[in-house]
Amino acid sequence: MTQASAHIPRRDPAQVMRLSRLGSLHQCRLSFMRQLTRRMAQEGWTFTRPVFDVDENGVGHAVYTAHGPEHAYSLVAFAHDLPPEQRSDRVIAEAWDATFTLFDGIPTAQDIRRLSQNVPLQEAGRVSESELSLSRANRSVRLWAHVVDSLAAGHQPDLDQIYQVGYLMRTTAVYGSGKFGAADREKTCDRAELNAPFQAEMLSVYLTRTFVRDLVQHMARAKGGDHTAELDPAIARWLGIGNSTGLGMAPFIVNHPILFNNWIMAREEAISRVRSLATASEDEAQTFRDIFDRSKLSMSWWRSEHPIQVEKLSSLNADLQAISGYLTQNNLTQDHPWDRLIRWSEEALSEEGQELLASLILEPFGDMVDGLTGCMADGNAHAQIIDGSMTVVEVRTLIQNTFEWALDLDWTTEKNCARAWYVSEEKLEPRLGERFEEPIADYEQPLAPARDAAAAHTALAQWQDDTRIAEFMLRHPEHRHTIRRAQIGRVAPYSEIRDNTISASVMPIDMLRAKLSFFGATHFDPRSDRWVRICMYAGAPYPEELTEDRADLWVYPEPAE
Amino acid sequence: MNFSLNEVEATAKRAARGAGYSWGHAEEAAKATRWLCAQGLDGTGALERLLNQNLTASPESHAPNTNECIWAGQKALCPLMAGAALSDCALQLNEAAISLKDVAVPTLLLPFAANAARLLKACATIEYDGTVAITDGYSLTLATAVPDHAQLVSIGLGGTLAETTSPRSRAIPDPLVWAALNQFAHRTYAPATEESRLRGAGSGLSDND
Repeated sequence: MTQASAHIPRRDPAQVMRLSRLGSLHQCRLSFMRQLTRRMAQEGWTFTRPVFDVDENGVGHAVYTAHGPEHAYSLVAFAHDLPPEQRSDRVIAEAWDATFTLFDGIPTAQDIRRLSQNVPLQEAGRVSESELSLSRANRSVRLWAHVVDSLAAGHQPDLDQIYQVGYLMRTTAVYGSGKFGAADREKTCDRAELNAPFQAEMLSVYLTRTFVRDLVQHMARAKGGDHTAELDPAIARWLGIGNSTGLGMAPFIVNHPILFNNWIMAREEAISRVRSLATASEDEAQTFRDIFDRSKLSMSWWRSEHPIQVEKLSSLNADLQAISGYLTQNNLTQDHPWDRLIRWSEEALSEEGQELLASLILEPFGDMVDGLTGCMADGNAHAQIIDGSMTVVEVRTLIQNTFEWALDLDWTTEKNCARAWYVSEEKLEPRLGERFEEPIADYEQPLAPARDAAAAHTALAQWQDDTRIAEFMLRHPEHRHTIRRAQIGRVAPYSEIRDNTISASVMPIDMLRAKLSFFGATHFDPRSDRWVRICMYAGAPYPEELTEDRADLWVYPEPAE
Repeated sequence: MNFSLNEVEATAKRAARGAGYSWGHAEEAAKATRWLCAQGLDGTGALERLLNQNLTASPESHAPNTNECIWAGQKALCPLMAGAALSDCALQLNEAAISLKDVAVPTLLLPFAANAARLLKACATIEYDGTVAITDGYSLTLATAVPDHAQLVSIGLGGTLAETTSPRSRAIPDPLVWAALNQFAHRTYAPATEESRLRGAGSGLSDND
């Protein structure tokens, strides 16, 4: 029995939107991958592989089709023979181990011919309105060789190596929403299965994982012939798909303030609902305890060599012990159990541990929180239109509400504006540079909302309170984008990062992790302060195993029997 | 070649910025160009004609004085600056029509009138010298082409949609126009250097592992 009583409000944006906390977020029930696998299982999607035409060198193509209730979607995959010296995860790479597109429907032979001339070229090719995504992947060289060699020699690969790497291939970009000629999101966003954010991209990665499993088996057989072992499905399940992500993802959460708000707000609302429960049943408490134990196992496989993440993992491990201690000493059924737990965590744990718990307490309460997934898309185009009738004093107040901390900062001090975001002409790669050491300031992108807000606030101080902001903007077009963001903040309290995105000490990986955690990524492994590898779908059922009882909690491994 | 509307929007934003508009106006240019293309009009061509006029060399002389009955500038009005001001002042349309004098590439005012129509949940009628356009913010009725330059434009509430332009999900810009927009956009890209290639984005570690 659960009952709501004292309402615990959503956490304050000033607490949630700090970069260090955003850089400590974990996946949860609302994550985009889990939304997709739940839906496909509930709706009884079926999957076929109409084409698998790959030679003994691993070159060829394959088609995997997912059949939903009203629409079908096909991953068209191209496998290549990539010389090792060309294997780069950077966006400036020009060749990959495999390239993909998600086709809207079932492609004809003619479609596949067209795609074969374009998809392998990625950014240098064109796709069409029939395609929903464009992506590529590179092998994890070590694990790929290990799995091929093991199977070819007639035995199973070593599970520990699989746990530690987590994937056979990692995607190095998954483009959607009209990029390189693909269909705009508007074409498909009214379909129930594609309304939530990034569902086409998540489906493409899900099918990519199946293709990679089939490809590694195929390559093992090409090498081992009749003696080749069949990859044990229980082992295959721990093969996810990696992703290697650089700075390109960081501007996204600044450039889509309403969308980002909707993700954060949905999760905060879910946390608030669970914290507001006065009691929980023994079953609910036990579900939480089980999932916590399973998540500990997943955390034990999380590896990173990056000093910052090493330190965070060490804190997280201490946090896991502290949580275990708390759980042996406290009930989870009485006296606002979840609120008590969260309040305890704020005193006792690092941000990694706090955000892990905040995600985990949602698990027993799917009925209460899963509906929030319907609020995570951005359907509010109106919010982009500035209300010019607002007064100067009202706008000043909006800026103060969000950026009070930034108004007193000396934005001319070098450490406060040491960095500048810019786009390099080289494949239009987003980069972060040193403002005082490189000639990049003239090319700066508007990715420092706090600095811009402080500048607008200073300019507004010269204007009378009751003047309409339209007049101010006519005289000061350079502040127009900041006024727009300030007004968006009225309906989107979690739209702004409450930290300096151009300071000497900014860690772009915090922005990457915030976004990737909502995808449902795990095992964040920074390779630098601006580059991170992750794992997706490790533990998930493959299409032929996808049933309702396996569609959701796959992200938490069950201890081997 | 056809392009997604997302590509149109992204290119228009960079092009307007490259031509010297503020980020806020570049955002307006991007949405406006996309809206025109979605209505089946040549939005990219309109933007390119505007950017070629180089009004950002003296922006204040092309901005409207909105305190007068008829909005005018010292020189021809920039439709992005005037359009943004029109959208900002949408509520004023509840009281009276707004007139603008001497407007460059006035097609680009349409998306801003559409903003106002959506906000006010009403039709807006835009009169260009002799040509009349009507929009409810989502669809557009336009009998004859909008002139390249208008002496007087008035925007008021009222009118009813008749036969509307056919909405499009793709844009087919003139290749020369598209190339020109990309030239403007190119001004926003920092030249690649070996240093920025190493420092600016990557991990510095091998990916061949």
